[in-house]
Amino acid sequence: MMDLIQNVWPAALLAVGLASLFALILLIASIKLRVEVDPKVEEVHKALPGIDCGACGFAGCAAYAKAVAADPELIGRCAPGGAEVCDAIGRILNLQISGGGAPMRPIVHCRAHREDKLFYAEYRGIESCTSANAQPDVQACHFGCLGFGDCVRACKFDALHIVDGLSTVNYHNCTGCGACAKACPRNLIRMVPFTQDNMMVVACSSRENGKTTRTFCTVGCIGCGICAKQSELFTVADNLATLNTAEYAPSEATQKAMDKCPTGVIVYRGKTAPAPRQPKQKAAAVAT
Amino acid sequence: MDTLQTLLLAFIGIVIVNNLVLTKFLGICPYLGVSGRIDMAFGMGCAVTFVVTLAGTLTWIIDHTFLIPYSLEVMRYLCFIMVIAGAVQLVEMYVRKFFPPLYESFGIFLPLITTNCAILGLCLFLNLWEIDSLIHAVVLSIGAGVGFTLAICIMAGIRENLELADVPEVMQGAPITLVTAGLLTLAFMGFAGMI
Repeated sequence: MMDLIQNVWPAALLAVGLASLFALILLIASIKLRVEVDPKVEEVHKALPGIDCGACGFAGCAAYAKAVAADPELIGRCAPGGAEVCDAIGRILNLQISGGGAPMRPIVHCRAHREDKLFYAEYRGIESCTSANAQPDVQACHFGCLGFGDCVRACKFDALHIVDGLSTVNYHNCTGCGACAKACPRNLIRMVPFTQDNMMVVACSSRENGKTTRTFCTVGCIGCGICAKQSELFTVADNLATLNTAEYAPSEATQKAMDKCPTGVIVYRGKTAPAPRQPKQKAAAVAT
Repeated sequence: MDTLQTLLLAFIGIVIVNNLVLTKFLGICPYLGVSGRIDMAFGMGCAVTFVVTLAGTLTWIIDHTFLIPYSLEVMRYLCFIMVIAGAVQLVEMYVRKFFPPLYESFGIFLPLITTNCAILGLCLFLNLWEIDSLIHAVVLSIGAGVGFTLAICIMAGIRENLELADVPEVMQGAPITLVTAGLLTLAFMGFAGMI
């Protein structure tokens, strides 16, 4: 027994000595190299959705949490979180803010499927809208959806698909991060405040005059102004009707404008949007 | 002159001929885990170099001043791990303070340097190879770190180029990485026996 103790004590002494030495060094280092972590940053990080989509313009939720804690003016950049997360961050940072308003969702401002529009020739280049857009005559319409899916690749939530040559949003999956709007080289996809479940929208971006538009698209806006006569929410400029989406609420006037539209370019977009109706008359030029 | 030549040979030997990663297969975990991008790989290499230099030197001193004279060789593992863990903690605090983005991108791999077997391996090799001068031990420790950095940076460079290569679907990810690591090892095996 004595032998055992005799043999053990140097080992024990060494272990304890070394351990204390390192403990001391690390203690000094931890004081010298202390990093102050703001508890608010961690709380904000917990409140964020944690999907790292980058809609806020920062590298991820952690980076945004740090930035917003340092500069409260950055609040409200989190599109997927919307008003709820905005309120939560406001509470953590002791800010007096009211909700972020209606959630922003993307709308594709084009409704022409492949058979609705005119092509001069088949495009066989790199399969991307950015590349196709560099070809002036990839399709007759210089404004409409190219259908090569840059927006689909930008979407992290499987909310966009190319359906018969037209980018189509699945609003059930959409978080409103806005990545698709940034990806579209023709700026067809724009973020719109969804005050209603289904938003009415003029699904066209063509600024050609009505006659020209009719030659290449059966469902394009011809700038006739019939909708503007029905409801004040519609305005026509540059041969293109636009709807004041911020003020939009379903009414008889807007419904009438939609029904009277000769090309049926005014459609509903949203979670339960009805299928768009066909235009009143097919343009002859496209059929050939 | 003779010692200088010995040291130089020892350094080249541990960096290229007896590279811990490529010929002893130690430290494979960070070698495959952090070699995705070359800047991160270099950061990891620097961290490991620092830890292994500190750990190799300190463990050699401890080995030769306490463990061998008092016949406490049985305590070797415990003491060595304590030194390595302490050094890693130091590095972690330093990186967190001065390179926060690097700290975030390392994630779990920074504390895992503690269990990087290349480091404990080097400390034990110093004893196994019967290195009997401190300067020799220091040179070997630095060399081990440089060798690790070299290996992980070459790997990261290849993997960055692999991103652009048309890899068959079944080979994507881990399989092609392991095949690459194997080929790289074969190449380095060509140096075997030079020193």
